[in-house]
Amino acid sequence: MQSPLLCDHCHRLYPADGLNYFDLLGLPPKYDIDLTALRQRYLHVSRGIHPDYRPGEDSALSLRLSALLNEAYRVLSDPVLRAEYLLELHGGKSAAQDKSVPPQVLSFSLELREQAQDAKLSGDSAARERCAARARVEYDRALSEIAALARQLPGDGRIQTRLRTTLNAMKYYQKLLADL
Amino acid sequence: MADDELIVGIDLGTTFSLVAYADESGPHIVRDERGDGRVPSVIAVTPGTPPQVTIGWQAREHAVEHADTTVYSVKRLIGKGLEDIRADLPYLSYAVHAGPRDTVQVEVAGSRYTPEELSAWILRELRARAEKHLGRPVRKAVITVPAYFDDAQRQATRDAGQAAGLEVVRIINEPTAAALAYGIGLRAKPRRGPSEAFALPMARCTSASGSTDGQEVQTIAVYDLGGGTFDISILRLEQGVFQVLSTAGDTHLGGDDFDRAMIHLILEEIRARFGVSISASATKQALRSLAEETKIRLSDRETAEFELDLGRGRLYRRVIPRAEFEKLVSPLVERTIGLCEYALKDAGLRPEDIQQAILVGGSSRIPLVRRRVAEFFGRAPYTALNPDEVVALGAAIQGSILAGRRSDMLLLDVTPLSLGIETMGGAMGKLILRNTTIPCRATEMFTTFVDGQTAIQFNVLQGERELARDCRLLGQFELRDIPPMPAGMPKVEVEFLIDANGILNVSARELRSGRQASIQIVPNHGLTRAEVERITRESLVHARADIEAHRRIDLLNQVEFDTQKARQMLDRYGHLLDPAERQRIERDIEELKRFAAETTDLDELYRRLTAFGHGTVRLAELGIREALRAETASENRTSNRQEVP
Repeated sequence: MQSPLLCDHCHRLYPADGLNYFDLLGLPPKYDIDLTALRQRYLHVSRGIHPDYRPGEDSALSLRLSALLNEAYRVLSDPVLRAEYLLELHGGKSAAQDKSVPPQVLSFSLELREQAQDAKLSGDSAARERCAARARVEYDRALSEIAALARQLPGDGRIQTRLRTTLNAMKYYQKLLADL
Repeated sequence: MADDELIVGIDLGTTFSLVAYADESGPHIVRDERGDGRVPSVIAVTPGTPPQVTIGWQAREHAVEHADTTVYSVKRLIGKGLEDIRADLPYLSYAVHAGPRDTVQVEVAGSRYTPEELSAWILRELRARAEKHLGRPVRKAVITVPAYFDDAQRQATRDAGQAAGLEVVRIINEPTAAALAYGIGLRAKPRRGPSEAFALPMARCTSASGSTDGQEVQTIAVYDLGGGTFDISILRLEQGVFQVLSTAGDTHLGGDDFDRAMIHLILEEIRARFGVSISASATKQALRSLAEETKIRLSDRETAEFELDLGRGRLYRRVIPRAEFEKLVSPLVERTIGLCEYALKDAGLRPEDIQQAILVGGSSRIPLVRRRVAEFFGRAPYTALNPDEVVALGAAIQGSILAGRRSDMLLLDVTPLSLGIETMGGAMGKLILRNTTIPCRATEMFTTFVDGQTAIQFNVLQGERELARDCRLLGQFELRDIPPMPAGMPKVEVEFLIDANGILNVSARELRSGRQASIQIVPNHGLTRAEVERITRESLVHARADIEAHRRIDLLNQVEFDTQKARQMLDRYGHLLDPAERQRIERDIEELKRFAAETTDLDELYRRLTAFGHGTVRLAELGIREALRAETASENRTSNRQEVP
């Protein structure tokens, strides 16, 4: 198992300049990844570079690399963050650059929040459950759309824009589910 | 082995502290001649020059007689301000004062001491014991803290270690240390020895995503109820890596609170029966011991009986059945169960996913606690190791890892609280979310709002709530020596790095000049730290209102920013527009500001803000073009471009 951060033979550490998260974990930059392999590589590389094993002169670099590796694992192990990262890797717009969300997502989110609030006030737990279930359906739908679009990356501008918009919508669904 | 390779492990507890070390045969507790490893975290000061300080059992016995010269439960005070510990004050038999920057100071025998100094005395005693036992100097230590300790509490603990002449090589979390002590049997080569006796039974993970062939994975919960603090940590053990998935806790919930529930009951009954209130510190101290003893007796017996002589023939006698005690402390136990649910949810797990629940901390001996933990996780908790000793053993193991003596295990812990900065208008902008694996880092860009501005201030916060005022202010930071440039031009990248101790390090760089910006930190111990847990609990309740408030602040900031920017552009480049457009933008600015100040309709405000943006596109483009031209023109000039027309 290889990582550009660490020489498996001499255990020397290398800076991560110019490397993306996939590089760090020695994986091809694709949406579909083997999560078991990802995790094993993460643990393996962690063992190689963690500050606990790197006292002395290596410690500052080791601290930075570990922080970077932890972030890489956090992003790549999450299906939504992974798609978002891949999109930006292919030059797509970030959430800060394009905040657009399909209008029906906003109205759906508002409507569901109102319903959930009413259900809460009236003590109707079955209705609250229904609200959560509806949010979950939309969440699942958005997730499979994200996966389908992310598999087509780099794709054309149309695919990148659609992926961006779906990712933006996903944030609404995630927030909605957390709040319901 | 060289002397400097020895790193001892110290459990600095609220009630008891222990020191341990590891050698080839595994970790060992340093014990006294009676075989007890526990050193009561009690400090007795005998006045004099210099004052005589006694630590441990002797100080504890000294406590009732000399209540005013005895200090205990210092851990409840460390890294806190007076406001945070107000609820504790009625139960303390020593005086606590506000210190500088709203730290606290304890008054004992006519002198004032910081919690760090008092803790350092305990650490010095532990160090001396270890040195005596090992026959060699001890200079380095791993010290444990509750997982839910925040940045200031961790820093204060590290400071205490330094004050005791120890290099604190690492601060680790108590539940994680306990997991390490339990887990050592997992990786150890089969051999006859004590480590086998407590090896966790291995579970084979059958889920497809969890493991590959022959790879053992297990998920454990560590329930740690100590004298003053509660932690729950969920860990995944795999390939010798102990990865914390989530942690939750309350740094103000422990055995002390169980005692206080009983003290409260006794005080009420004495008041009702004899019409007297107890305020003398000696009596308070006596009551404290009485309540603690009763609690401990009730762990083995069904009833406990005690009496208290109040003088003048008034004798308070009471029989407390276990059931009554359990009813009394049940709300406290339920709080811990609620936090278990919270931690599981954060880990994305259900109680049935937990293969072992490990009990740690002296208060986990209480039968009600064991029963409720067993009910919640649906399995009998695992208690093979002494719950008082397991944390120190784990710290010693981590010490041997850091000394380079073993590399079969690795801890990956998390930060317990979200970290962020205060955005304009008082919202909390989260940069690192709670339960992120450490070390971790985040960066944030800052710029100036005024031409020629050379310093930027910002507040760093820890907490889960949406508004800055509801979070813990860790410190006020000031970036200095920013090269003077027009507003918005400097790009200062600030890096927030949480190291493996869970302690924050901040650095800054001005990207245009590539210069390291200097950063001035004013640590703040002034706001109510006890609010951290309350904030976390309340964040669920307040979430909805918070989001609205947060959105409002964001929108108002945006309005303020956009209109100010447009005004600036208009002043500089307005002459390049035709007069009609200039006047329209003037009107739009005033109109938007007026509407923003009056409205409560955030959706409408958002629509108008967007429209305003569309209406000023041409002006903005013009501005950018002119600014770029000016920038190229001034490349070779040394003065800033404030004067460019």
